[in-house]
Amino acid sequence: MSNLPEAAPRLVEMHGISKRFGGIVALENVDLSADRGEVVALLGDNGAGKSTLMNILSGALRADRGSISLGGEPVRIERPKDAKALGIETVYQDLALCDNVDVPTNLFLGREIMRRVPGTPIRVFAKRHMTRMTRRFLDQLQIELSDLGVPVRFLSGGQRQSIAIAKAVSNQAKVVILDEPTAALGVAQTENVLSLVKNLRDQGLCIIYISHNMEDVFQVADRMVVLKNGRVVGERQRVETDRDEIARLIITGSGAVNDRIESDA
Amino acid sequence: MPDSTPNGPRPPPAPGETDRSRTFAIERLQPLLILIAVVALMTVLSPKFFSVSNLMTIGVQGTVQAILAIGVTLVIISGGIDLSIGTLMSLTMVVMGTLVINLGLPLELGIVCAILTGALIGFVNGGLIAYTRLPPFIVTLGMLGIAQGLALTISDGYSMYGFPDSFQNIAWSSFAGVPIPLFILAALALAAVFVFGQTKLGRYAYTIGGNEEAVRRSGVDVKLHKTFIYVFAGVMSGIASVVLASRVNSAQPGVGFGFELDAIAAAVIGGASLMGGRGTVLGAIIGAMTMASIRFGLNVMGMSPFIQQIVVGCILIAAVLLDTLRTNEQMKWPGFLKREGHDGD
Repeated sequence: MSNLPEAAPRLVEMHGISKRFGGIVALENVDLSADRGEVVALLGDNGAGKSTLMNILSGALRADRGSISLGGEPVRIERPKDAKALGIETVYQDLALCDNVDVPTNLFLGREIMRRVPGTPIRVFAKRHMTRMTRRFLDQLQIELSDLGVPVRFLSGGQRQSIAIAKAVSNQAKVVILDEPTAALGVAQTENVLSLVKNLRDQGLCIIYISHNMEDVFQVADRMVVLKNGRVVGERQRVETDRDEIARLIITGSGAVNDRIESDA
Repeated sequence: MPDSTPNGPRPPPAPGETDRSRTFAIERLQPLLILIAVVALMTVLSPKFFSVSNLMTIGVQGTVQAILAIGVTLVIISGGIDLSIGTLMSLTMVVMGTLVINLGLPLELGIVCAILTGALIGFVNGGLIAYTRLPPFIVTLGMLGIAQGLALTISDGYSMYGFPDSFQNIAWSSFAGVPIPLFILAALALAAVFVFGQTKLGRYAYTIGGNEEAVRRSGVDVKLHKTFIYVFAGVMSGIASVVLASRVNSAQPGVGFGFELDAIAAAVIGGASLMGGRGTVLGAIIGAMTMASIRFGLNVMGMSPFIQQIVVGCILIAAVLLDTLRTNEQMKWPGFLKREGHDGD
């Protein structure tokens, strides 16, 4: 096992997280950490506990035991609002955008900028200002989009996923949780989303990337954490592992080559 | 060729985008094309139909439906429905009649109280829908009955006559050859365009209709805004009842029932989608004028009002069918038949 020396506290540290649903153990004493400028992939089969763990970090669920700290400071995350206030944002598939309105409206949803019509008490949306800010922000993230004024439903799946991620990030996020961001996308669009993820990492964000897709994970992740039956069964730097080892960890919970399975396969 | 299937396989972004926006633009012209087609059809069917004075009459007759349609359009945009707007007109009218005719209070106070009554009932509708998660269909269907019952109770079932003589001037006089109700409609339309396009109430109606969960996750108080969307519809209902009362120069406890049918049909013909997220003020007005043209045309042709009811019902169903085809999606139930807030799961 590769135990990294823990000198300075990492940005996010989850310690000894346990969670039961009735008699079923969803998570048992799980540790997870992730730092600024790092993409940590969270892997595991269905029901391994990935979503439960992220729901705890994003405030959708409460852990039975364990602690979370952010930048070395212990924090309490009891509701999604708490997580948001701490700069932890989650991008859920299809839950993030309103398809019937344009990109700036989506990006500024809930924090619209108003301006006063000169000489009157009437306040209207500062549409041009918000569009300009949207353009600048998308440029900064290198998201290419020709027409910001059309409803989001006219954009491609990859573009929408990118906008969804941009929306989460625009909210002063420090930590971004991505749940299967490429699941519904084609090859070229997956490429775009992955380059956006790398981009965000290079800008110093901490990204936790949940995925089933080994190819995606090996392209963007700096570190991989594998869960099985609610426990961490392996943690690897990308450079020190390969697809086969991670696949074995996901399936058998052990990175060692198991003769029986090897001969069967 | 324009490919407008939103869920289909997507071509590379840049070339497809313009085609889709063009389809989008044509889609928005549809209500106007329908109105022109209806007027053309009626002109062919009845040579007496098309004249300036007839168009003015249609405009005046369509004003009440147009005001109601503007109100219900905002509700429909948010993914809801309001069936109580018709009988609510009866109630607000009776409230005004009681205050002005029976109690002798000033007309202006009566008008204000009629509008406030509309707002109050809208508040109850919206509050129940937003905070108890009852389906809008059920809440407003119940309110349809409650408002009708209240109107009949307060008025004891009788029509009230005896508004000041000046009152009917609102509906029956003109300025520069244009009937006053059309000015009222124009002023309300401007105000509504502002509400729909430049206020958070309007913007959140669109986004709630588009994806309620996304709006909630963006930190917006969805319940509060939903409540006031129904208040808006109630206020419009109150204003419409004042115009209608002026036209009939009385308060009639049974007159409003059935107006909801015309108004909802008008909203849908005007491009509002019962699945939420779409609709415009101008569309609502065009839709109401389409309905008024049809009614007027049928009258000119001597069709009985009983048969007209059947026609209006058929138009409503046809308009919703058109809306379903227009959305180009697989058939799914309109949002108001589902419980609130769980459709994303």
